Amino acid sequence: MKGKGIWRRVGAVAVVAGAASMVLAGCSSNGSASASADTAKAESAHLRIIVNISPNLTVAYWNKLFAKYEKAHPGVTVKLERTGTISAADKLNQDLAAGDPPDIVQQVTPSADTAKLFTDLSKESWTKKTPLVDNYKINGKTYLVGAGEQVQSLVFYNKEAFTKAGLDAAKIKTVAQFTKAMGKLKDAGYVPLQTAGQWVTGSQFTLFNDSTTMTKTPDWIKKRREGDVTFAGDKDYMKSLKAYKSWVDKGYLQKSDLGLAYADGQTNFLEGKSAMYIMGSFFVPAADQAKASDDFGVFSMPTTGTYPTKQFSNIADPYVVVKQSKNQKAAISLVKWLTTDKTAVGSELAADGNFRKGYTYTMSSLGKGVQKIVDASPGGFVEAADEQPLPGYSTELNSQIQSLYSGSTPKQVAENLDTWWDSQTQ
Amino acid sequence: MGLANAVIADARSPRTRSGEGAAARKRNRRLKDTAVSLGMAGPAVLLYSALMVVPVGVAIYLSFTDWDGFSDAAFIGIQNYTHLFTDPNTTHSMWVTVLIVIFGSAFQIGFGLMYALALRQKSRTNSVFRALTYYPHVISALILGFLWNAILGTKGALNTLLAPFGIGPVGFLFEQNLALISLIAVIVWAGFGFNVVLFVAALQTVPLELIEAAEIDGASRWQINRNIVIPMIAPVVTVALILSLIGLLRAYDIVVSLTGGGPAGSTSTYAYVILAQSFGSTKIGYANAQAVFLMIVSAALALLVTALRNRSDKAAEGEG
Repeated sequence: MKGKGIWRRVGAVAVVAGAASMVLAGCSSNGSASASADTAKAESAHLRIIVNISPNLTVAYWNKLFAKYEKAHPGVTVKLERTGTISAADKLNQDLAAGDPPDIVQQVTPSADTAKLFTDLSKESWTKKTPLVDNYKINGKTYLVGAGEQVQSLVFYNKEAFTKAGLDAAKIKTVAQFTKAMGKLKDAGYVPLQTAGQWVTGSQFTLFNDSTTMTKTPDWIKKRREGDVTFAGDKDYMKSLKAYKSWVDKGYLQKSDLGLAYADGQTNFLEGKSAMYIMGSFFVPAADQAKASDDFGVFSMPTTGTYPTKQFSNIADPYVVVKQSKNQKAAISLVKWLTTDKTAVGSELAADGNFRKGYTYTMSSLGKGVQKIVDASPGGFVEAADEQPLPGYSTELNSQIQSLYSGSTPKQVAENLDTWWDSQTQ
Repeated sequence: MGLANAVIADARSPRTRSGEGAAARKRNRRLKDTAVSLGMAGPAVLLYSALMVVPVGVAIYLSFTDWDGFSDAAFIGIQNYTHLFTDPNTTHSMWVTVLIVIFGSAFQIGFGLMYALALRQKSRTNSVFRALTYYPHVISALILGFLWNAILGTKGALNTLLAPFGIGPVGFLFEQNLALISLIAVIVWAGFGFNVVLFVAALQTVPLELIEAAEIDGASRWQINRNIVIPMIAPVVTVALILSLIGLLRAYDIVVSLTGGGPAGSTSTYAYVILAQSFGSTKIGYANAQAVFLMIVSAALALLVTALRNRSDKAAEGEG
């Protein structure tokens, strides 16, 4: 085992040196520091944490948050590992391959395959009080804890555009009504639905489809894994694809928006150039920062069945402790603070527009609108554990949804998704 | 006879001893030379092995495993290599890369050569133009991608300029074919300056007498370039071509920052798929198989170009 580890590490060093034009990887040693060995270090530790940087959760925000922890815990320093152009998951992979594991990672969801990378937090009693903790358990064990819930499948709308188009948001409950509303908004001179390139296109389709296919069949992904359903063979999935394609064909979604970055698409909507925007609750702080919250309203994503349906959500600010971290106790202590401390949690919820029972922060009118949706929802729906798609699925879906703008048919897209899925499970 | 033999033996023995001594000294000198050579080359060989041979060996080993970056690697034979040709993303990225390599290398070499020929003469203006063409090469490709994204994007500088004329937005980055053309154009722009520097340096080695003689004989500029200058700098062109081919096969950074592989995967290059998708999805064994395949293709292309060059040189010598 050790011998293999050395060889892999040599490979990893070479990647860093750029010695070959290839991805060469190595791994670090398998040993994880035991809790007892860490006891002595608990009071002074230099922690490294990988976080996802977004327009809401900026480098400055994280540094300010961790400065509070450092002040309250003398001897502990927290170093932010910037992710730059790659995701937190990619950064973690790189660090592990280079034999330089961080202590904590934010925004990485363990799967059954990757759970062994992370520390089992099941024995930590405080984790039981954290939101959605049971939904993310893997084989009954807790690896992931979060600060709140991020509400997905929301439709934000421009109030002025709705007034001009003579629309009442409260009456838009079905996909058919939603489509009709887009027609009226187009007639009123607005781009009905804002999208963007990067990950946004596929993500918006997911938020739409989660309110139709996935809430109707909550174990859809598990069934697809087992081969019981296919993309092309599932009526509901096909319905969602056809509906989306019809929006593209009718010009409700602009092809040129594929050339926009996520932030640019959001700016378009905030500037009133488009009428609706499918996004998660993390849009709220962006509207708050632009001092435009009162100009926008929000409703839950229309469905093909009952309305409102179970609100698709996911854990917000999720943290995992890396098993190879040599500062286990200090890392767990920081994660506990990030997910249970009133000040820290309040700050994280407010920064990204998230929610958590028993924790409040000053909300804008738009934030209160989302809270109302959460309160009215018959429950939550989470894509985690067994319901987590294959690695790389979101990237593939994004590509396929973007191809609908260039002439691909819903059938072709569904078949391509099946081909891709099957090719990954061979 | 016995005495005679003894005399002969006595007479020969000093010479024999001296011959053996010389041979031993020679052997010692050889051993010493070998030791010195090994001592001098050893560190370089060790360094080269540590940084090149061992990693490549490890990559080849990992390419036959299902290693995910953290678990124990299990040997799976050539499964990763067969998957290369059944994985739709990889096969698609191969075609994208082939297009980039063909058009990218043609334009990088073609423009580079034309530009170098135009700037062959030494003058201050030419020096400024040479420096200008080289400057993208010293900037990170990632930054260049972001820069061109700001120019070519839907809300970019170019579309903003065109808007008052009722044109656009032009899909430089959102139309699949146009996005690929934009990517190739930016790659060519970023890389051809390096070739210009190589070609300008090579052009300085072409004897002026030859050109003057050709001019006296009434040869046109085109004839001089085609029949004298370009053949004389052909070895440098070959090197530039090999470097271009290998560089284009590895196109990644500009893709990340300019198009992110989109729209609809139309600009997902092979290297982008390795690094952004396979590596990102913890398929390290598979990523290594992809990388090894890329290495083999790169080496094969380099050998092919060199072999073609040699054949053409031999043919030219034969004609001469």
